[in-house]
Parts: sequence; structure tokens; C-alpha cells
Amino acid sequence: MIRFENVTKVYNQTARPALDDVSLEIDRGEFAFLVGASGSGKSTFLRLVLKEDRASSGAVYVAGQNVAKISSWRVPRLRRGIGVVFQDFRLLPQKSVFANVAFAMQVIGKSRSVIRDTVPEVLKTVGLEGKENRLPHELSGGEQQRVAIARAVVNRPGILLADEPTGNLDPTTSMGIMGVLDKINQNGTTVVMATHDDDIVNEMRKRVVELKNGIVIRDEAKALYTSMIPVVGQSRRLKDASGRDEAQPPALEDRDPGTGEEQR
Amino acid sequence: MRLAFILGEIGSGLRRNITMVVSVILVTFVSLTFVGAAGMLQLQINQMKGYWYDKVQVAIFLCSDGSTAAGCATGPVTPEQQENLKTLLASPAVAQYVNDFQFESKDEAYKHFKEQFSNSPIVDSVTPDQLPASFRINMKDPEKYQIISETFSSQPGVETVIDQRQLLERLFSAMNAASLVAVSIAGVMIVCAILLIATTIRLSAFSRRRETGIMRLVGASKIVIQLPFILEGVIAAVIGAALASGTLWAVAHFFLGEYLSKQYPDTAFISPGQTLILAPALLILGGSLAGISSLLTLRRYLKV
Repeated sequence: MIRFENVTKVYNQTARPALDDVSLEIDRGEFAFLVGASGSGKSTFLRLVLKEDRASSGAVYVAGQNVAKISSWRVPRLRRGIGVVFQDFRLLPQKSVFANVAFAMQVIGKSRSVIRDTVPEVLKTVGLEGKENRLPHELSGGEQQRVAIARAVVNRPGILLADEPTGNLDPTTSMGIMGVLDKINQNGTTVVMATHDDDIVNEMRKRVVELKNGIVIRDEAKALYTSMIPVVGQSRRLKDASGRDEAQPPALEDRDPGTGEEQR
Repeated sequence: MRLAFILGEIGSGLRRNITMVVSVILVTFVSLTFVGAAGMLQLQINQMKGYWYDKVQVAIFLCSDGSTAAGCATGPVTPEQQENLKTLLASPAVAQYVNDFQFESKDEAYKHFKEQFSNSPIVDSVTPDQLPASFRINMKDPEKYQIISETFSSQPGVETVIDQRQLLERLFSAMNAASLVAVSIAGVMIVCAILLIATTIRLSAFSRRRETGIMRLVGASKIVIQLPFILEGVIAAVIGAALASGTLWAVAHFFLGEYLSKQYPDTAFISPGQTLILAPALLILGGSLAGISSLLTLRRYLKV
């Protein structure tokens, strides 16, 4: 579903690359954690999938398509196939729960009757039935994140990208959110989640891809947050990489869409 | 559905930004009023040309008591001189350029003068003696004035030959200058309007960056994201253009139609209906200016 072939992303010519020759494949229906310290390249990975940035070299395939070859007027179609959830929820404060989710369908031209049928169904999936008319500030953080997830999946994307979705939530609430994501994954959606939350990763026992300084240092099925197996093959390259300048690409959640002055 | 959505977005954008929208409306209103005023002056010039060029004549003024011109050395025009001039006018060499001519005696000149300046006190201080008699010539081709002037200027008993068209040309060039001034002011105001529209759209895009960000993420098309902003600018500018058209119509109807045409009954003023020719041009000009400047602003400040 997502395939990276020798992808390198350089934001700044003088600094080290944000992603350095990354090759990896995430299959349809998979659930993968992307772990690593800040600046390890997690957000860059997600941005490349969304075609928010271009890879400096190498190729990114999403649903079999090389994203570099998608013309700009077709990028919306690519993004319709990908749902995104952020740490800071990004709900529209003046719109109700229902309207926030419906917004994602309105802007791509879905008819009123389809919206009326689909939104309550999705809200039920994320466990928010009966709260359609609340405003975001009347909800708890966990509930707000559920609204954001509902919005991300209401158009039935094949892929759900989550950028530290539990970063603002307490452990119990986080587990609830993970339950929702797991449910969505079991319905066939590929889920890629960037996270720092070791408890969650250890609990879920899914595939873990660990990045450090833009290099994949571990890719393990049913893994834990920290590996018990010493990494042999990559150790020399790692030493090289860590010796270089520690330039960090801006995190995905720091970028405000819409203003987009120098970011895009 | 998408249309309803876009209209809703436009509505909320206009409401949120109401002060800026009002200023865009006013600036486009003022600038397009100047553009329209220049257009109206041109229409008026054409109208007057059409009206006057049929009526203007070449006048050969004959010597009277106080004349000092070279041809008047023998004093006021004598009946023989007058008869000679008449014969010359009827001779084939001149007649080929002339439609017809009349003699206007001093008394007739006084009568016309009284009619023309009926509401001016100058009438009381003028006597028939002070006004020269003249031949009034309707030219076949007004451009051939020079021939008449050369033939008659040196004739005895002729004080001067005047082409009334030249008097009109002076008026028209004054009106042309006025319309040029109007166009220059309009140019400055249009630059103002473009910059203001750009700023307004930029603010509007900034105040709705959450929405547009989400729209991007869920895959809304470029048109759905940008169109509300562009139409916002276009609607404001078109309202301004409509106000400008209304103002021009009101000027033509109330000022020209009801006031000036009563003051100057022999002048042909443009009718209010004629200003409506300008209205579509103003609407298109305003709308396209706003559309283009919004589009350029969005390319810079609202990436999709």
C-alpha cells in the first residue's frame, strides 16, 4: 500500500538528510508503528506519503502509484485515499461534532443524503453516538480525537496516517483511541501511526519501524517499543549518521496548513 | 451540494471580513466612477460632434464702423463690395465647396444675439450697430475651410473669416483633457483597489486557514478551496461597479437631463440610457480586476 524505494529527503543542503536512503513497504491492511526520537524522520515520512513534500531522490509509491508522477490537480484524489489524524485534533471550533465530520464529505461534493446516512454510522464506529450536536470544547480530549478520527475515515480512505494521535491524552484515554484505530484497521484500512508512546506500542504488539536520524534501524513484526535484539547490519552506517549535524525537519504537527507561506 | 457549500463559504467569508469588504466596495466604486466619467465625457464629445458639425458654418464677417482689419481701409462695407462678395460666392470656383449661404444683416445678427444671450445682462448694452453683418456659409466638406478663408480674407469689405468648427474643437480638446484627468485618477484608484483586494483576500485566507487546511487534507479540489475566496473579491468589486454605474446614470439623469439641459437648451446632452452602455464594461472591468488579483494572491498565500 505504501512503498519507499531508496528515499532520501534533504530539507537543507548543509544539514544531514531528514530521511536517508529509506526503503520499506507497508502492505494493505497492515498496522505499523513508526517510532523514534524527535527529528528521526517520522513526520517527514508521513509528509512524503501525502505528497506535502517531494522526495529528494528515490520513489514513494502509494496504492501502487508513484506520487512524484501525480500531477498537481490529481493530488486531491490521492489525499482522498488517505485519512490523517494529528496530535492537536484540528477540529473546527464553531462546528458541531456532526458538522465537523460532515465537512470532510461536503468539500468533496458528497450529497446531503449520503452525508446524513454516513456520518452517524462513522460516529458510532468511533464511539460517539449521541454526541452529534456537541461543540468540540464541550468534549474531552479523547472524544475530540475520536471526532478527528471519524473525520479522517468518513470518506473510507485505504490508508490512515496518525501523527502522535495520543500525544495529548492520558494513558487510559489513549488505550481507548488505540481501540478505535485497531477497529478501523480490522475493517481493512492500512494504519501507520507515528508515536513516542512506549506503553501503547508494547501493548499492541504490531509491526514497529524505528527511525533514527533518518535511517531505518529496526523493522520488526509484533515488536516492542525498544528492541531486545542488537542491530547488527546497520551499526556502521548509524555511527556515520549520528556523527553528522543534528538538523531537524519541522514536525508535521507544527505546520499549520492553510497559511503555508514558506512551508509549501 | 458543492455549490451550496461554496455559497455558504462565501457568505461566511463576507460576514467575517465585513469592514474590508466594505472598503473594497467603496474603492472600486470610486475608481470605476472615474473610469465611467471619462467614458461619459467621450460619449458627450461624440454626441456634440454629431450635433454641431451639421450646423456649424464658416462666417465671413463684413467691415463695420469700428473695424481695423486691412480689408476695411475704406470704412464700413459698401453695397458694391457686398454684391461682389455675393457674386464670388455664387461663382463656380467657390460654389463647388458650398452647400448654400445666407446673408445675415446687422439687424438679424442683433436678433440672434438677443436670442442666444436672452438671460444675460449684456444684451441691454449691445446695439445693432455694434454687430457686424456676415455671410453664413454651409460647407459641403467642413475640412475645406482653408479655401474659403484664402479666397475671402483679402477681399475688400471683409473683416475676418471664422470657422466655427475651430471654436468647437477648442471645447472638445478641453473635454478630452478632462477625461484624461479622470482616467489618470481612475488609474491610481484602480491600483489602490487591486492592492486592497489582495490584502482582503489574504486576511480572509488567513482567518480561515483551519478550514482550508482540513479541506486540503481530505482531498478537496483546488476549485472548491479557492473559489470562495475569489468570488468574495469578485462579488465585492461587482457591487462597487454596480454602484458606479448607478452613480453615472444618476448624473446623466439628474444633472445633465434635468439641470444642464434646461440651462443650455440648444446643447445635445447624452441621455441616461446611453450611460447604461458603460455599465457592462464597468462590471466586467471590476469583476476581472478582482478575480485576477485574488487569484494571484491565493497562489502566494493559499497553497493547495
